[in-house]
Amino acid sequence: MSFKHFALAAALSAIAFPTLAQDKPVLTVYTYDSFAAEWGPGPALKAGFETTCGCTVNFSASEDAISTLRKVQLEGATSPADVVVGLDTATAPEARKTGLFATHDLTLPTLAIDWADPDFVPFDYGYFAFVYNKEKTPNPPKSFEELIALPPSFKIVLQDPRSSTPGLGNVIWIRTAYGDRAPKIWQGLKPHILTLSRGWSEAYGLFLDGQADMVLSYTTSPSYHAIAEQDGKYAYAEFTEGYVPQVEVAGVLKTAKQPELARQFLAYLVTPEAQAVIPTTNWMYPVLDMAETLPAGFGTPPANVLTLDESVLDTSLKAWVDEALAALQ
Amino acid sequence: MPRSSSLPPRPLRLVAGAALALSIAALVVLVLVSILRAATGAAASSVDIWRLVVMTSTQAALTTVISLIVGIALAWALNRLRFPGRDLIVGLFASAIVTPGLIIAFGLLAVWGRAGWVNEASLALTGQSLEVPIFGLGGILAAHVILDASFAARILLARLDAIPEARLKMGQSLGLGALQRFTVIDWPMLGPTLPGLGAIIFLLAFTSFPIVLLLGGGPANQTLEVAIYAAVRLDFDLAGAVQLALVQIAICSAIILATAAFAPVSAATGRSRPPRWRDAGWARSVQWAILAVSIVGFALPLVAILVDGIGPGIIELAQRESFWRALVTSLVIGTGSAALTLLLALTIGMARAATASRLARTAIGAPAYAYLAVPAVVLSLGAFLLVRDMGLLPEFAAPVVVLVANALLSLPFALATLAPPLEAVAASRGKLIRSLGLGGWAQFRDVEWPLLSRDAGVVVALSFCFSLGDLGVVALFGTEDFTTLPLAMYRALGAYRSNDAATIAALMLLLTIAAFTLLPRLFGRSSDAAR
Repeated sequence: MSFKHFALAAALSAIAFPTLAQDKPVLTVYTYDSFAAEWGPGPALKAGFETTCGCTVNFSASEDAISTLRKVQLEGATSPADVVVGLDTATAPEARKTGLFATHDLTLPTLAIDWADPDFVPFDYGYFAFVYNKEKTPNPPKSFEELIALPPSFKIVLQDPRSSTPGLGNVIWIRTAYGDRAPKIWQGLKPHILTLSRGWSEAYGLFLDGQADMVLSYTTSPSYHAIAEQDGKYAYAEFTEGYVPQVEVAGVLKTAKQPELARQFLAYLVTPEAQAVIPTTNWMYPVLDMAETLPAGFGTPPANVLTLDESVLDTSLKAWVDEALAALQ
Repeated sequence: MPRSSSLPPRPLRLVAGAALALSIAALVVLVLVSILRAATGAAASSVDIWRLVVMTSTQAALTTVISLIVGIALAWALNRLRFPGRDLIVGLFASAIVTPGLIIAFGLLAVWGRAGWVNEASLALTGQSLEVPIFGLGGILAAHVILDASFAARILLARLDAIPEARLKMGQSLGLGALQRFTVIDWPMLGPTLPGLGAIIFLLAFTSFPIVLLLGGGPANQTLEVAIYAAVRLDFDLAGAVQLALVQIAICSAIILATAAFAPVSAATGRSRPPRWRDAGWARSVQWAILAVSIVGFALPLVAILVDGIGPGIIELAQRESFWRALVTSLVIGTGSAALTLLLALTIGMARAATASRLARTAIGAPAYAYLAVPAVVLSLGAFLLVRDMGLLPEFAAPVVVLVANALLSLPFALATLAPPLEAVAASRGKLIRSLGLGGWAQFRDVEWPLLSRDAGVVVALSFCFSLGDLGVVALFGTEDFTTLPLAMYRALGAYRSNDAATIAALMLLLTIAAFTLLPRLFGRSSDAAR
């Protein structure tokens, strides 16, 4: 076979036959990059679920969770996805409104958080916070206002609230803490923002690279460096405004080709086995109450938690995002 | 008309060209209609279109002015200086037109970013961190100027090289100083080129996509192209995207119509002759300085890409099946759209050359030039809506759409390169062809192709490289299973696999260089052998 033939054959197979025929049913899961990454929870959950389901789990990763929702919207009824993993309490109302998601129809076990959503199943939770390097920044800001007062050379990386749940979480955080003063806070932040990344991975990568002094992440992110890397130089900046919680959820699509497997997968996500994977892979708190099994140094949730009114979120979130983006222009 | 009598009758060429022109026009209309049809809904996001237009125009105007000034300075320096490796350096600047914007942006980050070469060096030497604002308007302008000033310099250098020897001798004998020489001899050659060149640069900057996507740093710095992409991909606001697309088409059309007098610059520039008359004294020092700064500014980001990208990361990348699929897809799409571009440009160019009627020539050529006014993301959006309306899954249509769209986007440049020589052949050798009684095929094989093959090679190289570096078309159509190299690179950046991104960037750069230097030679040689 000449190279030309080979190239042509390879090209045809690449373009026309993306997935090889498989005997087992395939469960297609849309999620965000760091969830599906080698060091994320994806591989362990896939292996765990595949031992019992008689199926193959395929992750298809986007930059961040909101991107997965947009992908499903763009694909509409033709979407190959069965399950979307990684939307959160802030994006669930919008996802519900698309009419693309089915009810989960599961009886959930007793959870560590209050939960009554008929469509989405929670699988972990955490608190947004700015992470910094203690060696490079000995005196981190203690509030958004202190951050704004720093010289413009102090850079932070944020995620775009239109594609990323942490980015959206930050919009909610500032709005909940400052109310109508939120646009002023955003204007103040503007000179400090190195870039709005598409997703968490890119932002955190830029920070670790030394491109920025702080990055929007979670209170549990420093635990990763301390436990997995034995590196104690990272910490989160303790903000006096309090913290905004995020509950990450998964949902089944109405157009799922494998609706039964999809529901089984959601049920699997809240089993003790799957939940034990979460803390040291996704670096979030498990939704089952298993505080005593958390590794040493994981840290306890912050005391000062802001309460969110979900009905206000539902009606005002879009306006808050527009307001934040307008302030950044 | 004296010309018409000398033209051999070629009805088949006329019919083929007219049919193609019609289908290309029909495709533009179809894309516009599908965009207009989707425009009925109310836009969901509150994008301030006016602000966007002002922002985009300001950026494009700054890019144009800076690029022209730098381009003139560089052309001036190159025209005067004689040094070993001059051909190579001139070739380096000529390659700017095909260097993917994504690569330049990435290279700029590697050199000027906070963790880039310059800052690391500064930290090591002085302990001080240089705060180069690479994200935002500064970075966008830098990337644009690197590409567009080099492009301008190559075009302007060709103008300076074309100054008649007699005029130079006259100037030399009059003892013109460096400054007088520039104003008296050079400027009259450069001046008339500037409006057309400026319009092209403005258009390129106005419709810039990957550079702004990567270096914009968020909503503070956007172009309409990026805003259209964001409306579809980030907000899922198709109606909003359509509004932006219409504004974009209107503005681009206005720019093109306003500068209708100029034809797109031919991409084929001959070899640049080293100068015989050189400036002395201060002027020469300034020229060396300009050349040195330009080479460092242009080449450093590219060198950074090769240094960062060629390393152990290759092995890791080579183990990813998705990488091989992206590579093969890119090569197939690039080769396919290059072949299609050449076919379209030859067919249309030959039809134009076969008629003496000015009106017919314009009618056959106009649809192809229309694609200057339809930027990549808009074309992609139109095709996307069309495919959705037809109830097809975008990923099935993706390979065809991306291939055809890329061919159409390079068509204006391809036609500008091939049409004039085809018409010149018909005009100058028409009588000979008639008297020899050559058929259409023989005319092509024995007369036209040997004279055109090198230019055809340039067209194929250009189109291949455009398509290889395309992000604007593929951005809306890309899926997990249909990915090209630029899209894979952009995704790797989003997933923070910087090593993968760096390696893909280096590979794309090498492929671009190889295609751009080898293809014209390859085609040129094939005709030499046939002769």
